[in-house]
Amino acid sequence: MTDATASAPAAGASWLGKLEGKVSWILLGVAGLLLPLLDDSYIGVIAQRAYIYWVLSAGLNLVVGYAGQIAIGWVSMLTLGAYTTAALTAGTATEPWHPYLALIAGGVVGAVAGLVVGLPALRLRTFYFAMTTLGFATIVTQVALAWKSVTGGGVGTPGPVFPWPFDPGWGFYYFCFILAALATWMTANIASSRFGRALVAIRDAEVAAEASGIAKPKLLMAVFLFAGALGGVAGGLFSSLQSYITPDAFTFEISVLFFIAILIGGRGSILGPALGTIILTALPEFAAPLVQWSTFLYAALLLVIVLVIPGGIADLLDYKNRRPLEQHREIAPRQELLGRLLDKSDAKHTIALKDIALHFGGVRAIDGLDLEIRSGEVQGLIGPNGSGKTTTLNVISGYYAPKSGTLMLDGRSLPFGQPHLRARYRIARTFQTPRLVGAASVLENVMIGGTVHGHASFAEATLALPRNRRDEKLLHEAAMQALATVGLENLAGVRADRLQHSELRFMEIARALMLRPAFLMLDEPAAGLSPEEIRRLGSLIKAISREGTGVLLVEHHADLIFDICDHVTVLNLGKVLAAGTPNEIRSHREVVSAYLGA
Amino acid sequence: MPTSAPEPLLTVTGLSAGYGKIGVLNGIDLTIGAGEIVALLGPNGAGKSTLLKAISGLLPRTGTIIFGGQDMSSASPRETVNAGLVHVVEGHRVFTQLSVHDNVMLAGYGMKGRELEARVEEALAFFPEIAEKRNDRAITLSGGQQQMLAVAQGLVRKPRLLMLDEPSAGLSPVLVDRVLAAAAQLRDQGTAVLLVEQLIEKALKLADRVYALARGTIVLEARTNEDDLPNRLEHAYFGQDVSAPLA
Amino acid sequence: MFQSIISYGLAVGAVYALIGITYNVMFSASRVFSFTAGMLGMLGGVLGALFITEWGLPAIVGLVLVLACGAVLGIVTEIVTVRPVLKSIDQHLYVLSTLAFALMIQQLTAIWWGTDARPFPRLIPVGAGWLDQQFWLPMLACAVTIVGLELLYRKTLIGRAFLAIAEDSYAARALGLPETGLRMASYALAGMIGALAGFSGAEILLAFMGNQAILNFYGFVPVALGGMGSNRGAVIGGLALGVFQQAANFLVGGIFAAVAVFAVFIVVLLLRPEGLAGASAARRV
Repeated sequence: MTDATASAPAAGASWLGKLEGKVSWILLGVAGLLLPLLDDSYIGVIAQRAYIYWVLSAGLNLVVGYAGQIAIGWVSMLTLGAYTTAALTAGTATEPWHPYLALIAGGVVGAVAGLVVGLPALRLRTFYFAMTTLGFATIVTQVALAWKSVTGGGVGTPGPVFPWPFDPGWGFYYFCFILAALATWMTANIASSRFGRALVAIRDAEVAAEASGIAKPKLLMAVFLFAGALGGVAGGLFSSLQSYITPDAFTFEISVLFFIAILIGGRGSILGPALGTIILTALPEFAAPLVQWSTFLYAALLLVIVLVIPGGIADLLDYKNRRPLEQHREIAPRQELLGRLLDKSDAKHTIALKDIALHFGGVRAIDGLDLEIRSGEVQGLIGPNGSGKTTTLNVISGYYAPKSGTLMLDGRSLPFGQPHLRARYRIARTFQTPRLVGAASVLENVMIGGTVHGHASFAEATLALPRNRRDEKLLHEAAMQALATVGLENLAGVRADRLQHSELRFMEIARALMLRPAFLMLDEPAAGLSPEEIRRLGSLIKAISREGTGVLLVEHHADLIFDICDHVTVLNLGKVLAAGTPNEIRSHREVVSAYLGA
Repeated sequence: MPTSAPEPLLTVTGLSAGYGKIGVLNGIDLTIGAGEIVALLGPNGAGKSTLLKAISGLLPRTGTIIFGGQDMSSASPRETVNAGLVHVVEGHRVFTQLSVHDNVMLAGYGMKGRELEARVEEALAFFPEIAEKRNDRAITLSGGQQQMLAVAQGLVRKPRLLMLDEPSAGLSPVLVDRVLAAAAQLRDQGTAVLLVEQLIEKALKLADRVYALARGTIVLEARTNEDDLPNRLEHAYFGQDVSAPLA
Repeated sequence: MFQSIISYGLAVGAVYALIGITYNVMFSASRVFSFTAGMLGMLGGVLGALFITEWGLPAIVGLVLVLACGAVLGIVTEIVTVRPVLKSIDQHLYVLSTLAFALMIQQLTAIWWGTDARPFPRLIPVGAGWLDQQFWLPMLACAVTIVGLELLYRKTLIGRAFLAIAEDSYAARALGLPETGLRMASYALAGMIGALAGFSGAEILLAFMGNQAILNFYGFVPVALGGMGSNRGAVIGGLALGVFQQAANFLVGGIFAAVAVFAVFIVVLLLRPEGLAGASAARRV
């Protein structure tokens, strides 16, 4: 099979997928453009509200649907944007501003607030963050009530009136429509760029994201800024649409509406949440008796979605991934393709650990460990449970900072901690339990591994500038290459969570290969594989090392270790019990007894 | 004692289990007769702890588990415990904020007050060194004493089968003997013991029969008095010499 | 003024503390943070006013009914919103399921009770000024709860089983403790404590559906600062928060009070995510 035929099904599916997606957007756009022909101002107002809500939801969708941060109080951005725009236009705090400038100011205030509220997400557990956003929403409302001179307190303040060309009526309608379209375009660009994949990786496989060089704080801050700005702009528009705003207008229930729209549409989709927003905004208007019950029904809907279809409607409609996969699939790696994927170089690199010691509480996990990984060699690491194998790997990949000892790459010291910086040194790894984005395709999962090779900035990705498109093309090609190498190219378009366990192990290796690693660390790659798969894995690892990559192999399968390692280190109780060639180790009496426990 | 009693206490057939997508155990068959000590050996990652968890219901599993004539294939831990199948999990996970006495008492949760008190005393009597500290919080105990406490918890219900997962881990040799002696004492009182143990020699000395587990399947079953057992075990572990006779 | 800051602050603080304990009791049993804590507090006041003022029941009957309703809601919370999502607790779906349930109850309250704050009756016409019932009742409720919990945890087997599950639910399950039953009991207990909080504080906070969000947040602040699961932290933090809030209200105004509490909350959590008294997080890889 050639590469061209291998990638054909995936490319075909995505082309069709793209068209399917585009058709819906075109229909929505045409409907929006032609809506004024109805000349029904009531419908116009509902549509405007839907657009405004969508401007906010579009940004929030990146936070909630993509990054998986449960920001339940995002209505506070709407409040802030609305009061900023209204107060600046009315001149209650300063000289009156021009409404358009005031709207921009609303966006800026929203961006700053988004950042402030978002900061805790970098450090706090999910519920804490949810509570922070809820608390912020509570407090913004309290301040709006108390700061009477600016906000008018409970009495309220008039909203801005935008002058020509977006004056009230259909002018303002098109203003909202254009901004909604713009928000859609920008968020879709981000979502389909490497930043979008990185967000999803942070959501579902944070540790793997870090190992792939994704810096969570920087990325999340950019997204919070962006989502806050959209929320602020939405607020400015909202205040104009309402023509008079009071704190009552910004109830927590609006937040719930945004949230359900995103969840019901499906996490990791743009169209779903957009449709969700439109429907949820319009529905109570057409079912008048329900208005009183609308929030209750929203909440009930939220509960049902969470309990019954956590994947949202998008999952239910995902027919492509309902098609049965071939039953007896075989993973046939083609290591001859490795040469094209890795830059073969004769440069010799060495990672050297010296005298590393690490304690967890009172337990000595590693106790004075020396270890070297050299280019072109497979270094095996074995030992009983709790002997410190994975801990060693985690020290090298930056998850743990040891108490003492040195970690050197080619004689220069590698900083402890900072796992997301390891990818820059081309140190890649896999995990004991595969870390993957189940809802993304196998191809997208593998592309995550090449994130650091992209050049376009977040802003370039938002505007889909040429550099970003070039990044995407290169990443796509490299990922197909990596999949072909490990023998999974036929599954490129399949949702990763449909794969068998053994396939996931090979997918993780493909993801690691995307880094063109100088060093590759494998944490029990053979666990759960059949003997035949282990054999193929062994020759793949061997081939990778022949390309000049230094491999560290943590394994329980003694036969695999003895088969392919150039050098084996045996750990026991955090110390090196023995080190040498496989043959030396096999005949080492102490090893046999420690490893067997006799 | 016969290798397979006419009606074994525990019969496991075709048991498979794992964590999520990762299958660890593959079609395990195993029997334990009343009042015998069976050692379960195997290299790391072979699935020993997983097997105990699958039997006691701490992990979802497929296959059949018959215990004392009762089908316990889909029983919860609470049901297996009530039936007399008690699992002392690895890592002496006692409740450090509770007293020694309360730790033992919790193991008999649901029993009548007076009977429970008596059982607690009986269980503590196995280990005088922790009985002395009955009112101290478990966090003040050494690792070895916590392990004794965990075993004492397993004794409260006078189980018909006690499964001990690495009771010697982290203990000094003297304490290991103390814990293992308790197992022997139990057998004399008619309790069967399934023992996962790293110290093979000690385990073989104590046990009547042995199963070896490697890569999720039983690779060897033998009586402990058979010849050349250590060598055969080693071969079974490393997966070499598969042609060598296993039994 | 000083007197009124202290008496008012301690009273409100005691309510926060009780809501904090409500969070803790649910968390200890299930590792779940539940948004129903504020809902229970809100309902304690609303149902109290409904039973005593509207229906004219004796105060003590009203209290017992309120506690019973709290217990039932606690059990429903466990069955409907917690148990189904416990298996995949890593996905934190409980955040949304408990929030959704709390909002449903809040909306039912809004529809049947109304969105305006209504007064709560004065139950015991003893004391005046800063010795008024509205001040000492929450303090008393808080003290009774703490003593009661202490007795439960120290003196009864079921209390020890609660502690055991809180410390290591896996080991507790292996021992054959009825985990599900104990979790339901914990939620029932939490329901009663939350309802008691709202009932005792309702003369100050009024019978008002809007209390839900406020209690959710201000009840969580002391827990987050004091460390999850620590009732002592919740009580100290709650009382301090109440007094601080009242002092700021009186001395510099409401805007500052709200912003200051939020700022302290965020800054402390950013510096010490595990809370001022909590232990650091477990390993990830």
